[in-house]
Amino acid sequence: MSDIIFEVKDVHYSYLGKFPALSGVNMTIRSGEKIAVIGANGTGKSTLLQLLDGLIFPDRGRVTAFGERLLEHSQDNEKAAHRFRQRVGLVFQNADIQLFCPSVLEDIAFGPLQFGVAEDEVNRRILEVAEVLDIQHLLDRVPHQLSIGEKRRVAIASVLAIDPDVYLFDEPTAGLDPLTVRHIIDFIVNANQRGKTIITATHDLHIIGEIADTVYVFGWNKSIVSGGSSESVLNDRSLLETNNLIHMHRHHHDGREHVHPHLPLEPHD
Amino acid sequence: MSNPLHKKHHFIERSILSALAFLKDATTSEEYANRKGFLQSLDPRFKTISFFSFLVTAVSLKSAVLISFLYGFCLILVLLSSIPVRHFLVRTLLFIPLFSLFIVLPTVFSAMTPGDPVWSFHVAGITGIITRPGVDGAVLFVVRIATSVSLVVLLSLSTRHSELLKVLRLFGVPQIFVLTVSMCYRYLYLFATMVENIFTAIKSRVGVVSHQRHGQKVVAWNIANTWNRTTQMSEEVYMAMLSRGYTGEPRLLSKFHATPKDWLWLLCAIVICAFLFYRGHTL
Repeated sequence: MSDIIFEVKDVHYSYLGKFPALSGVNMTIRSGEKIAVIGANGTGKSTLLQLLDGLIFPDRGRVTAFGERLLEHSQDNEKAAHRFRQRVGLVFQNADIQLFCPSVLEDIAFGPLQFGVAEDEVNRRILEVAEVLDIQHLLDRVPHQLSIGEKRRVAIASVLAIDPDVYLFDEPTAGLDPLTVRHIIDFIVNANQRGKTIITATHDLHIIGEIADTVYVFGWNKSIVSGGSSESVLNDRSLLETNNLIHMHRHHHDGREHVHPHLPLEPHD
Repeated sequence: MSNPLHKKHHFIERSILSALAFLKDATTSEEYANRKGFLQSLDPRFKTISFFSFLVTAVSLKSAVLISFLYGFCLILVLLSSIPVRHFLVRTLLFIPLFSLFIVLPTVFSAMTPGDPVWSFHVAGITGIITRPGVDGAVLFVVRIATSVSLVVLLSLSTRHSELLKVLRLFGVPQIFVLTVSMCYRYLYLFATMVENIFTAIKSRVGVVSHQRHGQKVVAWNIANTWNRTTQMSEEVYMAMLSRGYTGEPRLLSKFHATPKDWLWLLCAIVICAFLFYRGHTL
């Protein structure tokens, strides 16, 4: 189908040829979809995003993006690489990796400049994304002096300045305070409403209802063990328990101790 | 009472933590560069060229009086740039000029620099004679060092480090080199923090990184661990660069904008240097 953006077919990937990270992953992602990839630590979520971003390539199987197979040598061609990278943006889990320039302003400008965007247009985009993410006051700051939440917003801004069709988010809310989490969720929802395709790797089940319509669950076998609507997946308690995504939660209500599984959609007394 | 053995045991730990603190301070001390002041308002390219001219003048002049004039001008710039004079003097006069004074001290004596005696003394049967050319030479050397150090420190205090690195492009340094140095600089802080955290973690588990032999082992282990992490991180950073369109030829923002004020400043700098050279030649 023409609206298919990514097709992942029987993809296997291992680090150093001996540590398996993905084993037989299949998925199809269409334009404008909001997808979440959930799973415990080490189940291959980040590896999948790097494969979709053409940063690593499968040992076996194939990844097709925008109708073309993603191959290592095709990324050696500057025009082809730029064409692909202008359409797909990855927000890394570790913002310190993504923010490698000496100032916030230069980090935001880095992407557009590599694509040959004129400096005046780059400056316009910097101001625009800074306003969207409320980081105008950080533009002249040095990245290592920022808080984790500020770094994460700047990392998103550095991708937003490219204005890609597809956003790949790797654990976008990990370790953030509730207000920053709220800002990032709002950003993701707005981007999707503007027609952007969103793929988020996370194990924060509380945000999935908002940031995803479709959820894929990665299991210990480094493959997709289940997939479906966010509601159906989040209501499947045994699936979430088996894959280490929920835990028993102990707290106090009206002076008495109360134990229940930590489910994002399930109300409790 | 402090135990000298105890102090010795803490030597490695204290040395590393002090080095890390210095490194972090050096990479983050942009407090003065961010203030509103005269030098901060200048285009870094013009500022660097003018300071480079001052530096060449200070090194070339053979008159301590004229170099002192340049030093006085440097102090006026400090005042105009909202940099505390005391902080500046401590930073510039304490170590390097003092050190240079010790180096140059033997040359004031007649044994090394013959000439008219200024003062003589007897210590333990040895006669020491201080000569005029010796004193003049020593004063010139120390004043020249103090002025040169002050100029360089003032430039680095009043300019953001990232901008200073970008100015390297003026001297024909390739963009890839500027980017690499900027990135090294940016990650120094991160790795300094990482090593500091490792030490804190070790302390929290074993109390102190105390015994010298044990301390050496910890340092060696730390170096290996940091090396592994830096290698891994460099690969990840490269991926992040690729992800945003990097293909081996970096393009960076050139956000410098020269104003009439910058040109006027450059003209003043040239006039001052030319005047000092002229006076130095006619003296």
